[in-house]
Amino acid sequence: MFEFLLNPMYQTWIIQGLFLTVSITLFGVLLGLGLGTLLAIGDIYGKKPIKAVIAVYVELFRGSPLFVQLLLAVYTVPAIFQIQVDHAFLAFLVFGLNSAGYQKGYMKGAMETILNDQMQAGQSVGMSRIQTLRHIILPQAYRIVIPSWTNEFCSLTKSTATLGYLGFMDLVGAGLSIKGGTYEILPVWIVIGAIYLLWITGFTKLMDMIYERKRIPGVELAMQS
Amino acid sequence: MTDLVMEAKHVFKMYGENIKKAEKIDTEPCIDKKHLVEAVKDVSLQIRKGDIKLIFGPSGSGKSTFLRCMAMLEIPDKGEIYLGNECLTAPGVDLNKARARIGFVFQHIYLFRHLTALGNVELALRQVLKLPKEEARKRALAALAEVKVTDCIHKFPSQMSGGQAQRVGIARAIARNPDIILLDEPTSALDPELTGEVIDTLRDLANEGMTMLIVSHEMPFAREVAEEMIFYDEGSVVETGPPLLFFNAPNTDRAKKFMTRIINRTTREY
Repeated sequence: MFEFLLNPMYQTWIIQGLFLTVSITLFGVLLGLGLGTLLAIGDIYGKKPIKAVIAVYVELFRGSPLFVQLLLAVYTVPAIFQIQVDHAFLAFLVFGLNSAGYQKGYMKGAMETILNDQMQAGQSVGMSRIQTLRHIILPQAYRIVIPSWTNEFCSLTKSTATLGYLGFMDLVGAGLSIKGGTYEILPVWIVIGAIYLLWITGFTKLMDMIYERKRIPGVELAMQS
Repeated sequence: MTDLVMEAKHVFKMYGENIKKAEKIDTEPCIDKKHLVEAVKDVSLQIRKGDIKLIFGPSGSGKSTFLRCMAMLEIPDKGEIYLGNECLTAPGVDLNKARARIGFVFQHIYLFRHLTALGNVELALRQVLKLPKEEARKRALAALAEVKVTDCIHKFPSQMSGGQAQRVGIARAIARNPDIILLDEPTSALDPELTGEVIDTLRDLANEGMTMLIVSHEMPFAREVAEEMIFYDEGSVVETGPPLLFFNAPNTDRAKKFMTRIINRTTREY
């Protein structure tokens, strides 16, 4: 049943698949964090037109299936802009932009719980708003947001599973190819599923550890008050 | 006149759902003004070097708002705030630079929650005054020593008592050697015992000649250190004078009433 695991070619495919899945998710979730932070700041401090643009952005990416966004990006972006783009890069962009739509909400929520008093305190010692954001608000908000961010990571990792059906060699893509070669169905998907499970569980545990280590007494209380 | 540290000239500050609505209301006096609060109405004040002035009055009367306007943490609707010769309400003034010369102590302390006591005091020295690391640390430690909290310099705000936290707040305010410190009810969130610690710290600062504008109801302290007391009610200064005036015979009825109540309360508590 599981003999395909001993086949060097299939092993390479699985490793390649894992590499693509892991790298696209990690880059996507990090791009989402960076962009989500900017969107959150824009939504808190921006003038009305900026807020409107951000609202439209968030609704677009949250309101349509990620799969459809991927299809649109992969099939239309090269045609419309007349450019050759690596599909993996497009996929990474779509995941990042999509994730930013969600992470903006997490960041805004985290920032708003600390914003009022900490911003005043920062300004009272002579720091500018940007300095206060950088040294006071964001360091606290990032600590608060780690659990939500971990959730986002899990959900995004699983969303990348659609990539295989778009011809990418991610974990699902590797599974499809191996299935094509071996005619094994159940064992292949058990293995692929187990790899997802191990990777997500491992990474989640790591994030939990970071959360505990970075935890500062009193900072998480801000969420409740 | 050169020893003038801060001055407020005819400062106004209004709160409301919508200030634009408010302007409209002014021209139609019959409309209900309930949703508007005039927290500061034409308040002027001068503080000279070494002055200790104390603002007191009923809660909700706008004292804190006025103090925040002085620090330009809130921008007055009308009127001028001067720091030395510089008009802070003029357009184009670098408010961050101005705030760096003003120390502010909050009623609810507002320490930076993710930093230790030392980090709280050090941050502005590094980021605002741009001091090198060693120098910033030295000055932060000196400020913490001055308020006598050297035993908790590595503690986070949530691990300190309210009195320690507020003294760290004071250290944060004085570490930059500001021209003046503004204190917004620094003890009213503390119990009487912790209040004592903080008052002792403030007394030390007063003895060193620090210029201070304090919103407070600590009458024994006021009597001891304040040169001038300012009775503030419904957004404006009702009466001004030395502590003795207020403790003996205030001129206005409102001040008289308030003093009677507060002195009764104070003697009960101590």
